[in-house]
Amino acid sequence: MGGVFHAAILFLVAAGLQLVFGVQKIFNLACGSCYALGAYTGISAVAFFTGHGGSPALFVIPLALGGLAAGLVGLVVERGLLRFVYDRDETFQLLLTFALVLMLEDLIRLTWGTAPATTGGLYLAYGQVRLLGAAVPVYNLIVIAASLAIALGMGFMLTRTAFGRIIRAAADNREMAEALGVDMRSVYARVFTLGTMLGTLGGALVIPATAAMSEMGIELIVEAFAVVVIGGLGSMRGAFLGALVVGVLRSMAISVYPELEMLLIYLIVIAVLLWRPRGLFGAPAA
Amino acid sequence: MRTAVVLGGVGAAVLLLPLVAPPYYAILMLPFMAYGVVLLGFNLLFGYTGLVSFGHALFIGVGAYTGAVLTTRLGVRHMELILPAAALAAAVVAAPVGALCVRYVKIYFGMLTLAFGMVFYTFLLKFYRLTGGDEGMRMLRPSLLGSEWTSFNKTAYLVGPYYYFSLAVLVLATVVMWRIVGSPFGLCLRTIRDNPLKAESLGVSVPRYRWSAFMISAVYAAVGGALLAPPTGNVDPTLAYWTHSGNVVFMVLLGGFASFFGPLVGAFAFIFLQDTVMSVVPYWRLIFGAVLAFIVIFAPGGLMGLFASRRAPVEAGRG
Amino acid sequence: MAATTRREFLKVAGAAATVGAVGFPAVARGQAKPGVPSDPVKIGVLAIRAGIAAPVGQAGLRGTEWWVERVNKAGGILGRPVQLVVEEESTPKDTVERYRKLILQDKVEVVIGGISTGVTLALGPVAEEMEVPWLSWDGTTQKGVEETMPNPKWAFRSVDNEVEAIVAGQLTPKYFKGIKTVAGIGNDYSYGHDCWETYQAVLKRYIPDVKFVLELFPKLGVTDFTSHIAAIQQAKPDLLMCSFWSGDATIIMKQAAAVGLFKGMKGVFTTAGGVHDSLKKEFTPEGLLLGYNTMYFDDPKGSPLLKQFVREYKAKYNEYPAYECDHAYFDIESYRVAVEKAYATTKKWPSKAEVVKALEGIEVDSLSGKRSWRADHVQMCNFYQGVTTHKNGYDFVTIDPIEVVSTKTAMKPAGAKLIEWINGWKI
Repeated sequence: MGGVFHAAILFLVAAGLQLVFGVQKIFNLACGSCYALGAYTGISAVAFFTGHGGSPALFVIPLALGGLAAGLVGLVVERGLLRFVYDRDETFQLLLTFALVLMLEDLIRLTWGTAPATTGGLYLAYGQVRLLGAAVPVYNLIVIAASLAIALGMGFMLTRTAFGRIIRAAADNREMAEALGVDMRSVYARVFTLGTMLGTLGGALVIPATAAMSEMGIELIVEAFAVVVIGGLGSMRGAFLGALVVGVLRSMAISVYPELEMLLIYLIVIAVLLWRPRGLFGAPAA
Repeated sequence: MRTAVVLGGVGAAVLLLPLVAPPYYAILMLPFMAYGVVLLGFNLLFGYTGLVSFGHALFIGVGAYTGAVLTTRLGVRHMELILPAAALAAAVVAAPVGALCVRYVKIYFGMLTLAFGMVFYTFLLKFYRLTGGDEGMRMLRPSLLGSEWTSFNKTAYLVGPYYYFSLAVLVLATVVMWRIVGSPFGLCLRTIRDNPLKAESLGVSVPRYRWSAFMISAVYAAVGGALLAPPTGNVDPTLAYWTHSGNVVFMVLLGGFASFFGPLVGAFAFIFLQDTVMSVVPYWRLIFGAVLAFIVIFAPGGLMGLFASRRAPVEAGRG
Repeated sequence: MAATTRREFLKVAGAAATVGAVGFPAVARGQAKPGVPSDPVKIGVLAIRAGIAAPVGQAGLRGTEWWVERVNKAGGILGRPVQLVVEEESTPKDTVERYRKLILQDKVEVVIGGISTGVTLALGPVAEEMEVPWLSWDGTTQKGVEETMPNPKWAFRSVDNEVEAIVAGQLTPKYFKGIKTVAGIGNDYSYGHDCWETYQAVLKRYIPDVKFVLELFPKLGVTDFTSHIAAIQQAKPDLLMCSFWSGDATIIMKQAAAVGLFKGMKGVFTTAGGVHDSLKKEFTPEGLLLGYNTMYFDDPKGSPLLKQFVREYKAKYNEYPAYECDHAYFDIESYRVAVEKAYATTKKWPSKAEVVKALEGIEVDSLSGKRSWRADHVQMCNFYQGVTTHKNGYDFVTIDPIEVVSTKTAMKPAGAKLIEWINGWKI
């Protein structure tokens, strides 16, 4: 069950990654840093809320809002930095996101200090239920439900709304979309911001169960990377199933043969890249 | 002519440094020399063949751990044996890894190399009994040219015999790489980088050449990794972590990947910049990230690119 | 107070208006005793600043800073003001480089610090090579030390860190009856592994047919233990032994409470006292065995020094101090006492070798009471462990009853081999 909770968080981050990659063809290494940023912002939001008399039972709301608000940093990044390299080789784009990873890590340290931060005991505020013979914290279920809702919402947006159609068109064929009058600048800005928000939200939602540290993004990015490779670069469904695979497999590995853990995941990534590079749902590899 | 003068001046400065500068700076040159070797090899793959490996730290780790294992577990202390052993170990690992990776390009190549790098990192981390896990392994002081140099304390050893030994390795590595790059093989790599289809049509086996470049760069990385370990006497899994690979790419970009000496300039700039920044402010990552962003956006040719743009176009196209 | 640059930090350490960019404390120059230089004595400090163990590193640094303020107000060491030069402890390789920088560049007289075993094991040989005394706060598990520092001249090692596992192993049968199966979880490096091995060896002496059903070693820095907890639940042990000593202890406690882990089993947290005030009552049950290493902040038998320290620490940081403060205080206080002792005979500021000689066997008043350096350069002190209770005026757990065990009985004597010594006990 813990594996599914982790998968729910992974999905959010991976979905953000996929969105950006699908449209802008940039693998955003900084999505892990956004995850960390969302975590810290969420903690601050909750602290502010409870410090001003907010009821602890409602902490999930400032948490989620804080996480989403942190995502606006994506807009700043996109307009301020990323757009200068759209016409460059993808190596340079990747390296720019790596530069962001470095900068964001220290900015987080500057703002929030270096000690781990938590939301204290709020994780347990909603109690537990018994599911399949095990006690599951209700908070976990809330997050899993939220993640599912977002997955469905993303699916709906991509297939039924005008914006979603534009995204898919831009992902398939940017030149054509532009020729048809789509304002790519605005699309890129919105897509990147949305992608960042998904990452920051994921970071905020995971925090009550653990603690925030400035390096939390560095570890996560490799897991998110595994998710999108297995699921297929650029695919939302891929993010969903990939997250489930990685989350659950890791959880099982720890119970069965702890030494394996991430090793198993990386080996699967290599296997996928070698035999089916497009992953489960990705477009055929160039 | 000008290059010769510059090289001569730099060479003299490097040779004399341990005699005139405080030991701290001489010791700081040691990682520069080690990374210099690593980056020369890396740029063969990046600048000359056009492949960005995001997992090169794997081979640095292989080299470093080879040194550690040889000195602590197998009782081998001769650096003259450790370096070839590191090279051999890297070749053994790079042969299959490279064969798998070079069938892909661009982002898939980057992702595969990253995944392999992380596999090795996880192996180093989790197999505690074998590798020492998170805290790593020690590397004992290697003997140079047959002598243990026991009359030298560690600082004197590092600033003296080890400094000149590393320098000799760096010079040798540079000369060999110069030959490689100037050879027909090097020319083929550049052709493959610029136009793989044309290369194929000319009868050049693209995967074969890429694989060879990969092997050479791996060997260089391992030799550099083995050089990296003795000053601190300790190797740990973070040597193989993906951010270390990222730093390698950063260094090459900083110096300029389009120039032969760019990687060396980049290694030097990175090491000394890091030291300077870290003593003033703990937020060195912020500064480095900003520097990297600046280079990517405004100066993709790196430091050498900035120099080259001021020289005659003929010179700028070299290397 | 978050001193971000070393320069800023030095100002704070001076604890007064500074002169220029280099922080000079408010001690008038020229008050140094005869034979003693008047410039400040530079002391290098290695502290963990970032990551999951940052709170522990922070505690050590704060303890050191408190000492420096007091000592400088009283005139410094033999009239020489103390100037701290702080570097970060991170990975073994990087910390070795910074250690070298402290000695070669900053020319410190002594280096104090080091918490994580991986780091201290790497520093030991370097300390011997650089011939400058190094007083470790923490982090030397004895098995590793046998290989790397068999007869240290310059390195002063912390107390054997398996002592807390030994004490916990001795107290387990006293407080928990009927234990038949045990699971263990610790960090994946020498401390975690050695603690588990030691605990097993000790428990077997008291409960010969105890079965160890599961052992897990997540890396230090992992923040998600839900899968590990699930595995523990599956194994259904009577007792879980956990040697986490930093922020991850709080996390696992929280995640365990979320699934009611300790409703069905006993818990032994050998070293979680390092983050004791983050173990809130909401998710930390009563009835766990909890270890506070060498300092328990609420010791009813605590000295006036301890009480004053706790009071001022709480006032300044709104937190309660943990044991790392005591290690840090002991190290730097013993340095001062050793310098003064050596001065008494030579009437000159002692050389580094003379300081080392004076340190051996010395006993000083630390925050937790009297502590000393054994002749073989190992710390001697008391260990505090007890059973968690909610009956207190704080929002976190404390212990009652408090067991105090001295290293005289709980630490292997100089020259002995750990497991052999344990197996040779008379029960």
